[in-house]
Amino acid sequence: MDTQWPRFMVFQQEGPDQPVVHNGTVHAPDAELAMLNARDVFVRRPEAVALWVVPADAIFTQTQEELAQAAETQLAAGPLASYYVFGKFSQQAQCRQVGQVQASSPLAAVHAAIATFADKQPLWWWVFPASAVLKNESTEAEPMFSAARYKTFKDQAEYPVVTMMRALRNQKANHKDTENTK
Amino acid sequence: MYGADVEQIAIQLNEDPQKLADFEARIARGEKIEPGDWMPAEYRRQLIRMISQHAHSEVVGMLPEGAWITKAPSLRRKLILLAKVQDEAGHGQYLYHAAETLGATREEMLDALLDGKAKYSSIFNYHTTTWADNGAIGWLVDGAAILNQTMLARCSYGPYSRAMVRICMEENFHRKQGQEMIILYSQGTPTQRAMVQDAITRWWWPTLMMFGPHDADSPNSGVLIRWGIKTRTNDELRQEFINQLVPDLQACGIVLPDPDLHYDEASGNWRTGPIDWDEFWAVLKGNGPANAERMAARRQAHADGQWVREAAAAYAAKNQMQVN
Repeated sequence: MDTQWPRFMVFQQEGPDQPVVHNGTVHAPDAELAMLNARDVFVRRPEAVALWVVPADAIFTQTQEELAQAAETQLAAGPLASYYVFGKFSQQAQCRQVGQVQASSPLAAVHAAIATFADKQPLWWWVFPASAVLKNESTEAEPMFSAARYKTFKDQAEYPVVTMMRALRNQKANHKDTENTK
Repeated sequence: MYGADVEQIAIQLNEDPQKLADFEARIARGEKIEPGDWMPAEYRRQLIRMISQHAHSEVVGMLPEGAWITKAPSLRRKLILLAKVQDEAGHGQYLYHAAETLGATREEMLDALLDGKAKYSSIFNYHTTTWADNGAIGWLVDGAAILNQTMLARCSYGPYSRAMVRICMEENFHRKQGQEMIILYSQGTPTQRAMVQDAITRWWWPTLMMFGPHDADSPNSGVLIRWGIKTRTNDELRQEFINQLVPDLQACGIVLPDPDLHYDEASGNWRTGPIDWDEFWAVLKGNGPANAERMAARRQAHADGQWVREAAAAYAAKNQMQVN
């Protein structure tokens, strides 16, 4: 029986000016294969310029509730590292990119995020070290995502079934009229 | 503060009444329950049951249509069918992910499916005997699934509801390509018309069964509706489907296999004859026309993928060694 591969969180950026947004997970033996799986699972429609995969256990989350309840903890003083900061801003929304901070631990990164992005009030904070992320190079975006752009047959708007049904009903009504005038 | 009914349910389920009351108040305010939030054990259990069954249905749902990819009548139809089957694989993945957020593991869910312990939608245990069945599956089966999934997109559990929003968007392509196919063939050659009539005749009743037992015989509905997992009952969804489909299918000149079917002026509903629930339960219990075949195909696919998983793991291990 197989053992289960590690989970990777998948984030997707739909356009150059859009934030990076969390959209689910894949299992894979390493980040490179996680990236390939993520493309097949999440980008079958052409709405991506960037895809990130991050090992699920590299992500540190804190809800507003947890932050309020947490006692003042001594923040471990490790070497400074760069952390990505994400937030979930509404009940229905996915976690989205807020920015980046320098911090010496995940918890310190959350505190740095609160200080840096004081105008943001997410329901949750997510932070993870920038070093934990695998993302596609911008030059890879075209070969990775453009093929889907030409597959217009995947778009429900390509199937004018409402118009077709109306034409069918009109045709029947006209046929009936002709029958009646005979 | 909480009402007597909350107290009673808390006792039944062995939950803290205040926590349960707070949880129910959140749902009443339209908030989404998220993975780390407090939830009753029964809420978690019901969701894992529903979401994993739903995921299995997407995965097994690839099989009836997948068999037709090599036999598609045109390149366009082949591309559509390939994309559709690939979507179903993706939907299975979104849903396994949503179930994982509740503490179920991918491994135990897949094992349950392969061991034959897991349920999946009974509709996929029917054979696809002609090409027109792909149209019938799109318009009828996916159409029925969309009604259910549109409801679930509003459900109280965040990850399930978000997976559903994405799935519904893609399923609309599935439904419409099927409807387009049926409309065209129903106006086509006598052979095409006969093929479409035969497909709808075979798929009509099994599709109506997809919505599940009548409300009176649906044991889980009460708690699912109370906690905002479902917001409409099986019978409500089934009736909406019948009202949508009957006039359109009739406009195509298709005769439905139900002598009792009639329009009820008073309620504005189309009424069908009785559904054969013995057939539904038999298929669900494993005695449908294709249950054994579907499970054998699924196990074979898993076994055939073994070398790919081994190669992927070996590749990752090799890269890891080079890093270290």
